[in-house]
Amino acid sequence: MALYRAHVLVCKGTGCKSSGAAPVYDALKEEITRRGLDKEVMLVETGCHGMCEMGPIVVVYPEGSLYCRVTADDVAEIVEEHLYKGRLVQRLLYTTPEDKVKIPHYRDIPFYKKQFRIALRNCGYINPDNIEEYIARDGYVALAKALTAMDPEDVLAEVKTSGLRGRGGGGFPTGLKWEFCRRAKGDKKYVICNADEGDPGAFMDRSILEGDPHALIEGMMLGAYAIGADEGYIYCRAEYPLAIKRLGVAMAQCTEYGLLGDNIMGTDFSFHLHVKEGAGAFVCGEETALMASIEGERGMPRPRPPFPANKGLWGKPSNINNVETWANVPSIIREGGEWFASIGTEKSKGTKVFALTGKVNNTGLVEVPMGTTIREIVFDMGGGILNGRKFKAVQIGGPSGGCLTEEHLDLPVNYESLTAAGAIMGSGGLVVMDEDTCMVDVARFFLEFTQRESCGKCVPCREGTKQMLLTLEKITSGKGKMKDLETLEELALMVKEMSLCGLGQTAPNPVLTTLRYFRDEYEAHIKDKKCPAKACSALISFVIDAEKCRKCGICAKNCPVDCIAGDRNTPYVIDQERCIKCGTCLEVCPFQAVSKV
Amino acid sequence: MKDITLNIDGKICKGTEGDTILEVARSNDVYIPTLCFLEGLTPIGSCRMCVVEVENNPKMMTACTTPAQDGMVVSTGTEKLRDYRRQMLELIFAGRNHFCMYCSQSGDCELQDMAIAHGMDRVRYPYLYADFENDATHRDIQIDHNRCILCLRCIRVCAEKVGTHTLDLQKRGWNATIVTDLGRKLGESSTCTTCGACAQVCPTGTITLREFAYRGRRKDCDSVVESVCPLCSVGCRIKAYVRTGSIARVEGTAVNEPDGGQLCQKGRWTLPRSAERERISVPMIREGSHYREATWEEALDLVAKQFRKAHEADSDGVLVSSLCTDEELGLFVSLFKDGLGMERIDTFDGDVLRGFVKGFEPFRKQGVRPFTAAHKILDSDCIVNLSADPDEEAPVIASYIRVGVLRNGASLVNISCSPSPFRDITDVDAVTKTPAENIRLIEGLAGMVEALKATGGDPEKTVQVTAAEVAEKAGLTEEMVVKILGSLMDSKKPVFVLGGCLSRDPATVAASVNLAIACGAFFDDGIGMVPLVVSGNSLGTINTVLADEPWLGKKKLDFMYVYSTGLVPEDEASLSAISGSRFVVVQCPFWAHPLVNLADVLLPAPAWFERSGHYCTIEGERRRLSVVIPPKGEVRGLASVLKDLSKDLGVTPEKPKEAPCGNLFASEKPPAAARMVSLEEVRD
Ligand SMILES: Cc1cc2nc3c(=O)[nH]c(=O)nc-3n(C[C@H](O)[C@H](O)[C@H](O)COP(=O)(O)O)c2cc1C
Ligand code: SF4
Ligand code: SF4
Ligand code: SF4
Ligand code: FES
Repeated sequence: MALYRAHVLVCKGTGCKSSGAAPVYDALKEEITRRGLDKEVMLVETGCHGMCEMGPIVVVYPEGSLYCRVTADDVAEIVEEHLYKGRLVQRLLYTTPEDKVKIPHYRDIPFYKKQFRIALRNCGYINPDNIEEYIARDGYVALAKALTAMDPEDVLAEVKTSGLRGRGGGGFPTGLKWEFCRRAKGDKKYVICNADEGDPGAFMDRSILEGDPHALIEGMMLGAYAIGADEGYIYCRAEYPLAIKRLGVAMAQCTEYGLLGDNIMGTDFSFHLHVKEGAGAFVCGEETALMASIEGERGMPRPRPPFPANKGLWGKPSNINNVETWANVPSIIREGGEWFASIGTEKSKGTKVFALTGKVNNTGLVEVPMGTTIREIVFDMGGGILNGRKFKAVQIGGPSGGCLTEEHLDLPVNYESLTAAGAIMGSGGLVVMDEDTCMVDVARFFLEFTQRESCGKCVPCREGTKQMLLTLEKITSGKGKMKDLETLEELALMVKEMSLCGLGQTAPNPVLTTLRYFRDEYEAHIKDKKCPAKACSALISFVIDAEKCRKCGICAKNCPVDCIAGDRNTPYVIDQERCIKCGTCLEVCPFQAVSKV
Repeated sequence: MKDITLNIDGKICKGTEGDTILEVARSNDVYIPTLCFLEGLTPIGSCRMCVVEVENNPKMMTACTTPAQDGMVVSTGTEKLRDYRRQMLELIFAGRNHFCMYCSQSGDCELQDMAIAHGMDRVRYPYLYADFENDATHRDIQIDHNRCILCLRCIRVCAEKVGTHTLDLQKRGWNATIVTDLGRKLGESSTCTTCGACAQVCPTGTITLREFAYRGRRKDCDSVVESVCPLCSVGCRIKAYVRTGSIARVEGTAVNEPDGGQLCQKGRWTLPRSAERERISVPMIREGSHYREATWEEALDLVAKQFRKAHEADSDGVLVSSLCTDEELGLFVSLFKDGLGMERIDTFDGDVLRGFVKGFEPFRKQGVRPFTAAHKILDSDCIVNLSADPDEEAPVIASYIRVGVLRNGASLVNISCSPSPFRDITDVDAVTKTPAENIRLIEGLAGMVEALKATGGDPEKTVQVTAAEVAEKAGLTEEMVVKILGSLMDSKKPVFVLGGCLSRDPATVAASVNLAIACGAFFDDGIGMVPLVVSGNSLGTINTVLADEPWLGKKKLDFMYVYSTGLVPEDEASLSAISGSRFVVVQCPFWAHPLVNLADVLLPAPAWFERSGHYCTIEGERRRLSVVIPPKGEVRGLASVLKDLSKDLGVTPEKPKEAPCGNLFASEKPPAAARMVSLEEVRD
């Protein structure tokens, strides 16, 4: 490879692409060539950096300067100032939300400072379409090491030592799972990658698929070698066309390099890999439903046992892991299980990628060592609550996670602590909520999702979640009775225990945790017919303060149902009977005379 | 298989490794409630009624799906479980319309029974008043989705037993419903065979058969009699529900057998409907253009007089139904063949049977059994349809074929003069233009397979005949022949289904057996051939009434005695021979037209539900027909009628020499010992 004095990395992840990374890339290419820098400066397309809302993101090495929200118009300046004159373009640097400090170095940005990247180690650093770049960052070293110097049992032992646990939700020890499959009787075995990523708002798997597909492929090969499988499937949701494309490119390159197919690296190990596009239903991410879907059947969960390790895809022993789980494996084999086990907490080793969203200043992907506290994630990396509002809760673990409160802020995040608090690690969704969020409505919102996504096979989930949802709707519309809380809780506990698959077993979590930590809010809805967060439209009303009203009539002009009356001489008044509670008047009043009560 | 021991509710229960907890419980008389489970169908664990607690396992386990393990300690009836089960039922009742007083299945509903058994005296959740569709577009089968509990039994039976995959699930979660043909109404379905299996397994009032809806609840019936369906060669086991002297419905029974306790559309409808048909209740004698009633004495006197005269002039004939039992066939043989020494005795469709018998004979002589039990189709990896139309001839065979292909992954090859009746699932459809080309194809394939196997499947080595030559002779493309060969050579256990029409030429039957032998189609009970031999007891006629050579229609006879069960229409050839006879006696339970119009004397006969005896079925078993409803009025059993008749004719019948079915299912040698034969042997 030729030597370059500088590298310009343009993120072409899905987030940055949609905010306009392509024109930036093209402009950079043109400008660099025009200025005759193309022999000295290399332009690279990379996968996601995790800070999508600051995109399009451009990083310039060797300095490691990160430019935010770059447009094609900024390109000339970047080339002129940074690449020619060696001066940072100050106005494009990341600025902290509170004290407005400009941060010149990527690694010093609070969002990245506390991160520890194993699964995402290459995301944003390499061109995912180029296997050479992966290899240059020690890619396929682990595979070579395993195939030439380790028995399958050694690989298995290493993964067991590492303490790696499933990142797809359940947190089952990966080494143990592999061992079950390895010991299962059968000469044909499969390894499967679960890349269905159905949780709304989750995109950690997508980032790996798009930013570092080889890590996943290498991980699967190591697993196949340890288990004794010679065929693999990546079940990727069809909504990830870029991921599917990149996987295709990566697999073709592997085949070309002799890293996929028969007798890999001249050994007896053979491995064939297929990509299967998912049908889109959330429940297809459940492992047994996923396998049914690969088999061409309707994606409906099957009862376990028998477990996939004994009877999986087409009835053959199969091992299924999540994208992030697989992506951790190469580093474990390369650096050793002990190394991995030194990161994290006693029972939860390594790191976890979270998708931080909601009412925080910095949203995006963060990979942190297990044991990092919620406070560190929300306040240090997330930069605190948006618009200076007050923190109220975090919802951890996707739609079937639980809501945790201020008192949990110093909870070190790991599988056990989250489960004990009523939440789950899930796939790593982390939604931050501020004081304007109604917790009953939050429970209703998430349950609406799971209820809609229930496959309908088993009675508790199909009928139980429907009844729970109706009860919540009753409460948020002010028609709840105190007895409903009892019924709700009873139903929730039953659905959790009696449902066939993980969807039903976890769907009640948002309800149970909000009942546990925010019972007073439920009671306010029922007893006082009030929504404390003023979010449930049935329980609020808009009123105009006659004192503050300057009788301009803007509210009346904008009201969609024309229910505000008044004139030059009389203050305006809202007809509560006809008001649909859209909140338009509140937004348009120039004198803050309208309020929500 | 290892024996295992479980402790279920304190009772020591023995089972076998591989059993589920439910299976162990049931075989040890421990009751566990179930709703979605149905023996014979893949368990899916969806209703959660069968949950049990297993010691040291924090999870609720469904007994119907959880494998039993040695030493397991299981509780089936803790307070928590009972509460949960009741909650499950309440949710079901609240979810859709289960206002029993408006349901045709009330009192005959597993869901209702379950609710009563669990003391569900109220529903704590609000009724959701679902507004799903009531699909009443089908003439016979109705689906009221408002009552569906989504146990998926119907979908499973339609896929796993009937094989049509008509039913499926649409939408998700609470909105999920059963759907036909991916979105059509049942009445518009192009795949539904109207077999009614779905209704038989539905535990609620969702899928019902209109005709039987108000004919009596299963448990209110006066009796339930197990018997056999006489209509086609498969001879399904049935149970008939009797109420106030009528048959309220007929269902299959053999849940743990390959047919899954199901019936085809023929059995489901023809059998119960026949109990409502108009009967010939007294003997009748033709007078000009109408019949007058007569006594048995008068009628039999007249019959005997005409018979004797014709017999002396060697101008008499007897034609009996192949839906007769072995015992009835025996009576005919002892009177007509052994007693009177008649040669002109035969069964309807005798030519079909003769063709099979002649084609099979050279192999039978080798001491092997040239056919296998029909359900072995399910064990095969390559099904070859030879001129059969199973949906017409024996619909259960069609189900076996569909299930074999769709569930067991068998390939399907059609070699016929007409396109495959299983168009969508046929891998190779070889349609020859003439029967002559058809037999040349089968012969050619047998030769090639034999040669290829001898050379270890290496086509490079010299093979006597080439695919091109076979193709040329059969009027097909070479590519087609190569494709068939590929399927046959890839198969470890092919099976051949022979249509009735194939037997018109016994040489084709023999050629087919040759092909089966060449392919190594050997099953434990015989060579992999399934001949579709017309009706319930066609096989039983082989050693009894079946004539060696055809005589029907060769000569105008003075007297013809015809015994029909009136259940299946008579073939044209037989009818025209009968109408050409001078004096015709028809004994038949029903006014079966046009047959009865040809009679000079009509004698009543017991209907299928009034008789008992045995059938030899192509399932390789003798099955018992039982009296469902005792005969009434002037209807007399065959034995007593023939006794009087023989007295009038002056003969004393002996026990028949040969037992029907006697050696039919026996084989001296394993099927693999069979050798191919020269077709000349058959043609002579
Ligand atoms: C409703 C439901 C949806 C799921 N969706 C996903 C998913 O999108 N991605 C995933 O990796 N695991 C998902 N899972 C978890 C998988 O069933 C399975 O546990 C996981 O793929 C195992 O991999 P791991 O051990 O590496 O976590 C889902 C589970 C349930 C119950
Ligand atoms: S728990 Fe829900 S999603 Fe899972 S099988 Fe039951 S109905 Fe389907
Ligand atoms: S009648 Fe038979 S074929 Fe038709 S839907 Fe029901 S089970 Fe399927
Ligand atoms: S129609 Fe009947 S058998 Fe089919 S799912 Fe509904 S309740 Fe079950
Ligand atoms: S009978 Fe076992 S879950 Fe329905």
